[in-house]
Amino acid sequence: MSTPPPSEIILGRRQLYILPTIGGLLYAAALMVLLLAAVNYSSALAYVLTFLLSALAIVSMLYTHRNLLGLQVSSRPPQPVFAGDPASFQVCLKNNQRSPRLAVNLEHAKSEVGTADLAPGEQACIRFEVPTRRRGFITVPPVVVSTRFPLGLLYAWSRRLQLEQRCLVYPQPAAGDLSPFAANSQGWRDHGRNPEGDDFLGLREFRRGDSPRHVSWKAAAGGRGILSKQFGGGYRSSVWLDWESLIDIDSEQRLRQLCRWVLDCERAGILYGLRLPNKTLEPSTGEDHRHSCLAALALFPAAAHR
Amino acid sequence: MKLERLGLNSLLLTALLVLATRAPSLPLWLTLACAGALMWRFAIHSYGWPAPHRLLRLSLTVIAVAATVAHFGTVLGRDAGSALLATLLALKLLELRRPRDVLVAVLLCYLLLLTGFLYEQSLWLAAYSVLVVWLSIVTLILINQPNLRSARYGLRLATVLLAKALPLALAMFLLFPRVEGNLWGLPTATGSAITGLSDVMQPGSVHRLTVSDTPAFRVEFEGEAPKPAQLYWRALVLSQTDGTRWVRGESPALTPDSATQFPYHGPPLKYRITLEANDRPWLPVLDLPILAPPNSRPQWGYVYEYRQPVRERLSYTLASYLRYHTGPLASAEKRRALQLPDKLSPRVQALAQFWRANASDDLAVAQAALAYFRREPFFYTLHPPALGADPVDEFLFSSRRGFCGHFAASFVTLMRAASVPSRVVQGYLGGEYNPAGNYWIVRQSDAHAWAEIWLPKHGWLRVDPTAAVAPERVELGIDAVRQLELSGVRLGRLPAEALRKLIELGVVAQSWRTLRLYWDATNLAWHRWVLSYDRQRQQYLLSSLHLPALSWRGLLLVLVLALLCGLLALAAFTRRARPTDAAHALYRRYCNKLARVGLARAPNEGPLSFARRSAAARPDLKAEVDAVTELYMGLRYTRDCGIEHLRALRRRVWRFQPGRTSPRSLADAKAGEDARQ
Repeated sequence: MSTPPPSEIILGRRQLYILPTIGGLLYAAALMVLLLAAVNYSSALAYVLTFLLSALAIVSMLYTHRNLLGLQVSSRPPQPVFAGDPASFQVCLKNNQRSPRLAVNLEHAKSEVGTADLAPGEQACIRFEVPTRRRGFITVPPVVVSTRFPLGLLYAWSRRLQLEQRCLVYPQPAAGDLSPFAANSQGWRDHGRNPEGDDFLGLREFRRGDSPRHVSWKAAAGGRGILSKQFGGGYRSSVWLDWESLIDIDSEQRLRQLCRWVLDCERAGILYGLRLPNKTLEPSTGEDHRHSCLAALALFPAAAHR
Repeated sequence: MKLERLGLNSLLLTALLVLATRAPSLPLWLTLACAGALMWRFAIHSYGWPAPHRLLRLSLTVIAVAATVAHFGTVLGRDAGSALLATLLALKLLELRRPRDVLVAVLLCYLLLLTGFLYEQSLWLAAYSVLVVWLSIVTLILINQPNLRSARYGLRLATVLLAKALPLALAMFLLFPRVEGNLWGLPTATGSAITGLSDVMQPGSVHRLTVSDTPAFRVEFEGEAPKPAQLYWRALVLSQTDGTRWVRGESPALTPDSATQFPYHGPPLKYRITLEANDRPWLPVLDLPILAPPNSRPQWGYVYEYRQPVRERLSYTLASYLRYHTGPLASAEKRRALQLPDKLSPRVQALAQFWRANASDDLAVAQAALAYFRREPFFYTLHPPALGADPVDEFLFSSRRGFCGHFAASFVTLMRAASVPSRVVQGYLGGEYNPAGNYWIVRQSDAHAWAEIWLPKHGWLRVDPTAAVAPERVELGIDAVRQLELSGVRLGRLPAEALRKLIELGVVAQSWRTLRLYWDATNLAWHRWVLSYDRQRQQYLLSSLHLPALSWRGLLLVLVLALLCGLLALAAFTRRARPTDAAHALYRRYCNKLARVGLARAPNEGPLSFARRSAAARPDLKAEVDAVTELYMGLRYTRDCGIEHLRALRRRVWRFQPGRTSPRSLADAKAGEDARQ
């Protein structure tokens, strides 16, 4: 699988906002009371306290802003998931400045999903899940980086950051108990020869390269693991998983079924090819092939072919 | 968010420091209650004690506020206000759940600290307050930093923040427009009643002069200071006597400029006096000032009375002439200056008449009297014997021991008996020079009484009979006299130089004295530059920086701008805080309900995994949890979910009762399981 470079955003002044928190407004109200008392009683120390606290609030404003300014936000490429499973995203915060950044929050959908303390040069990744419902790409949902550090008087936050990182969502596999191999063999087009007869010899542990036709699905359904029926002689076969072979169901259902077959074939170690109206993948096996097939299914144009 | 123990301890320490400053002026029961609250709070987060229940807190609040009101009769004013704030702080400490609670407690600490400034504004308290502020910043940093990994960084950061805030605070302090007068009533303070002066002088009844080292006032001279023996600070003129007591008596009518209508000689002496609060209205001045001190009324005898008793430090600048002629004596004044007690002892009368008969003029009479004091065995002592019904007679002819009051009273009585207009003046003599700040400290123990006689050639002329007996008192000061008396040296018998050697201080005592002088100088600077920084000083500073003066208008502008900014922030804030997403708000409510039964959603936990975890922990809730989660996910992550889904979610969330395991929901769960099987 090729890894696209993680997209990243460095927070600049124009991406950051800052406002007082409710606590900050209370603080301001207390300052007002202090000031009124100082003016009324002409108390120099009350003035000193008022101005010292005001100055602290102003300095803390700079610190709160600085806690986010220049922060590098990036995301790790997410692993593909099947529709219905939550997609797990990782957003990484990297501190490129020479002072630490503490209590940096990551927010997604208005709720805090994680907090990071970043030493100089440190990077911390925060993982959060987003539910998926449909196949296809979903992009990293917009996240917001925020902080109330150091005094909790001010809340600085970035605008919604849209990172250019997508998560591929495979179709949801059709239910597993429907065995296409036994009930409906139309989907299977044998292209291999079978030179060594077809005498049933018995069952043995399934091995990579065994034909799905020889898998004892009954045994698999009974939970005894995948066993191969042994015939008079082994042969190597490849199957085509064909869009056209599935009729009577709508295209999404077809894709889900094909997805199930891809998974089954891959698990069984059979060479399989995928034939879609817009794309054909030659029979092969392995992780990359599985991904290519599932990606083709995931990205199959919706409602294009009935 | 869980509050960190370290932050809470830091908050407790802050509160403890603040309450400690206020404890002396709080009622004892309140101090004890605050201490109890602090300990309870400590036990809550250190030993897992239960926090008080909401009802208990509420009733405690009502009781505490009622007790405060019952104790003071009001909630207004300094005392009641600080008691109320202490109460609120103690109660808030028992209710710390969120970071904002900690912030509120810190703000209460600040307000309580402020009430302390209405009582005292010493340099110590200022330094102490900076420490409190630093600690409060540490508290806020620790509370706002959930991971304790870098607590030390928090301490350092608090220091850095404070260091960066100080110059800004200084600029604000110097430039913020000052207002004269006050917005509402000032407390009617009962100032400290420390004074060495009284408007009643009764030397015979005092057999032991209490000496207080408290400074009475400090003086800075512009140019060279006169010799200590010339520093007669006049404060009160006593002219009426009944033989034992001397009082001021009724004042003759004064012309407004009576202090300025006489010819002066020589250059004037300019000086600035910083008078300590003493609850008395008399303003000490050196000889005759050209102008009266501000806000004061001139009294008979060229002394000045402030418009009210001096309850806080007061500074005034004066210029005095040391050589002057006060001009002719009005008849009313003359009558007053010759008043004698009804019963005058024949011996005193005879002595005065003898001087009168042998003298060519009034001055010669006075000189004869001084010679008499010098010649006869009179002793200056701070511990004279008590005198009887006719103290003047007894002092002059039998006891012959006394301090300034005895000498002044006897001298004036003699002068009046010899028809020389005279009066007693009370004030201070001398002072201690402080080289650290180039000023003089005049203490209450420097209080002195002397006489003034009126001569046609000179006008009022100062005569100090004490100087005739104990020149040390004038030349070396009261401190030396005290030490000499302690070491048993009789005054008036040895030259001043020899005496000075006798009382030379050791190295340690000398260093201690220097240290005290430096500390005094620091305090004076503190008072001059910080405490009495007012509108005049601000205008002076601004004009020296060529900046326009700030005014009420400027202050108003600043306030209005600040208010506008605050309102804008508030508006923006509320808009941001409004839950635009109703589904999210409902879901949060649902999470809160679950949190109450011990199922808190972790910040990084997705709704689905949270639902799985909740269902695993509480299988009886599975159906409800799944339904809510599904509805929420549908509303949040798909577009085709409409208002009816939101209504359904709302219904479900409202009915969701995880605390109550109803039999129906159990049955539902069971039915669901059966169906699955």
